[in-house]
Amino acid sequence: MFNPLDHKGIPLDQQIRNWRELNVEPIDPEAVDPYTRCRIITMNGIEVEAVMFSHQFARVCPDPDVRRELAYTRFVENQQQRVVNWLLPGLASVLETTLGYEQVAVDLTAWVARHEPDPYLKQAYEFGVLEDFDHLYRYANLYEMVERRKAEKIVDGVTEVMPGRPTVAEFRHPFDNVNDPYAKDDVDPRSKLHALTILSAEQQVMIYYMNTGPQYMEPIARQLYQEISLIEQEHVTHYESLLDPGETWWERLVTHEYNECWLYWSFMEQESDPRIKAIWELHLQMELAHLQQAADLLRRHDGREPEQIVGDTGLPEPLKFEPNKEYLRHLLATQIDLTKLGAGYVREAHERFEQMQERIHGGEQPPSEAVIDAHRELLGDEYRLETEGPHPVESLRAREGSRRA
Amino acid sequence: MPDDPGIVDVVGLLLTQHARIEEQFLLVIGASGAARQEAFDDLVRLLAVHETAEEEVVHPLSRTIAGSDGVVDDRLDEERQAKEMLAALLDADVDSTGFEASLLMLRTAVLTHARHEERYEFPRLRAKVPADRLRALAPVVRAAEAAAPTRPHPGVESAKANLVAGPALAVVDQARDLVRAAARRARS
Repeated sequence: MFNPLDHKGIPLDQQIRNWRELNVEPIDPEAVDPYTRCRIITMNGIEVEAVMFSHQFARVCPDPDVRRELAYTRFVENQQQRVVNWLLPGLASVLETTLGYEQVAVDLTAWVARHEPDPYLKQAYEFGVLEDFDHLYRYANLYEMVERRKAEKIVDGVTEVMPGRPTVAEFRHPFDNVNDPYAKDDVDPRSKLHALTILSAEQQVMIYYMNTGPQYMEPIARQLYQEISLIEQEHVTHYESLLDPGETWWERLVTHEYNECWLYWSFMEQESDPRIKAIWELHLQMELAHLQQAADLLRRHDGREPEQIVGDTGLPEPLKFEPNKEYLRHLLATQIDLTKLGAGYVREAHERFEQMQERIHGGEQPPSEAVIDAHRELLGDEYRLETEGPHPVESLRAREGSRRA
Repeated sequence: MPDDPGIVDVVGLLLTQHARIEEQFLLVIGASGAARQEAFDDLVRLLAVHETAEEEVVHPLSRTIAGSDGVVDDRLDEERQAKEMLAALLDADVDSTGFEASLLMLRTAVLTHARHEERYEFPRLRAKVPADRLRALAPVVRAAEAAAPTRPHPGVESAKANLVAGPALAVVDQARDLVRAAARRARS
């Protein structure tokens, strides 16, 4: 398998781009492969994490030479983020991009869950994916109400749209969102990449919703963004607590750069749009040099080799955006009623869960339920895209005949 | 539920039309031969009814809101450009390579224009114009939409219009007349 540690990439001093190079042509929202949009959204989240991680690192790093090195690479990563995220078209609305974010959360997390070797970590992804799956359904209903378009325009039938674990039941006591971390020296290196990837994606979803939500005038839209952005913050806690807090800053830098190599390489292998593929390839070549720099810092300051952190066998199997319908239906049928108790998973509505539910809902219907009722009132039914038959959980089937049946 | 679910006001109706226009562009692009001609004729009709409604009903309403003239002028400018592009397409062979390239340019212009309205014009209407006024205007636009023929029917248009511009332009004129008449009735 391709081993990024064996490659030098584009020299760092040649990586700063001019305006012409930054001025990328956006994708055509009417003609794009939905998974190309998903890859763009994923890599944006990854680059945002790269930038924010580097800022946090710089704030605790006393060595002025290292701070300068970090500043340089951080500027380059910033430009990478601008190029990637500016591939999204101005023609798309915030809500359309939101549907893309949730499609990413569903199909990215499902792929990672299917490929995660550690059973405890796998459970964390299986648990989380059913919640983002529900968000897609809530936003799809908002979309048809507010913009009069159907979510199949965005998800294109490769991802189904129907209830997951109902958002109303996703509010847990914050203590119960803290998981046990993996052990950095024992865990499969793939698990480190999986955790960082999903954490980065969820973090970007949170940032996006918490900032774009108030741009809406429609009260139901403002309220729904507020509610779901709070759940996304729960998810950031859920996933970040999987990372071993004993990893050094140098080691975490190596993992970040290695992960970026894995993802750009994966997407380069899979990309259907040749113009976008060229960007993934260019960015991979840039990341290879960032990884070399991180590996040198690790050797100098931690006295370790990068292979001790990410293994010596090269990149794992490429991450793929592909339909996960059957897998998701299996999870819906078997894990819909799970919640958290401490670092574990339970089916009972325990006391701390009930207390949090009472506290946050205050006896009222949350926006995620109100949006479905409002859609029924306005358009006569709810929006669903069930391409593989009725919902696997009987109690979550559509209440009445659907115009989309 | 009424026959036309979800149309609570004229803005909701225009949003629905935007969605239909988006879909219709895809239908034209995806078809060929006679089917493409038919889909294109439907598109022309949709655009005619929609743009006329905006010009006769919605933009004048926007102008009553202080500080909106600039936004409306920009929208009218976009509509004029789109119409010029559409006019150039009316006589073309729908299966020629030039047609498809021009159609894609028209699509970009129309969809960009629609998004501009959704971002800069419609929110102000909903915020500043009384809700019952916006509701009252919906049937005006809907009546014109229902009355317009689904595609050009020879003989319905005046002979003169047929001679001058062919059936496609005639249906545009006819849609415009229908919306204008409905708007007049609503005002009186």
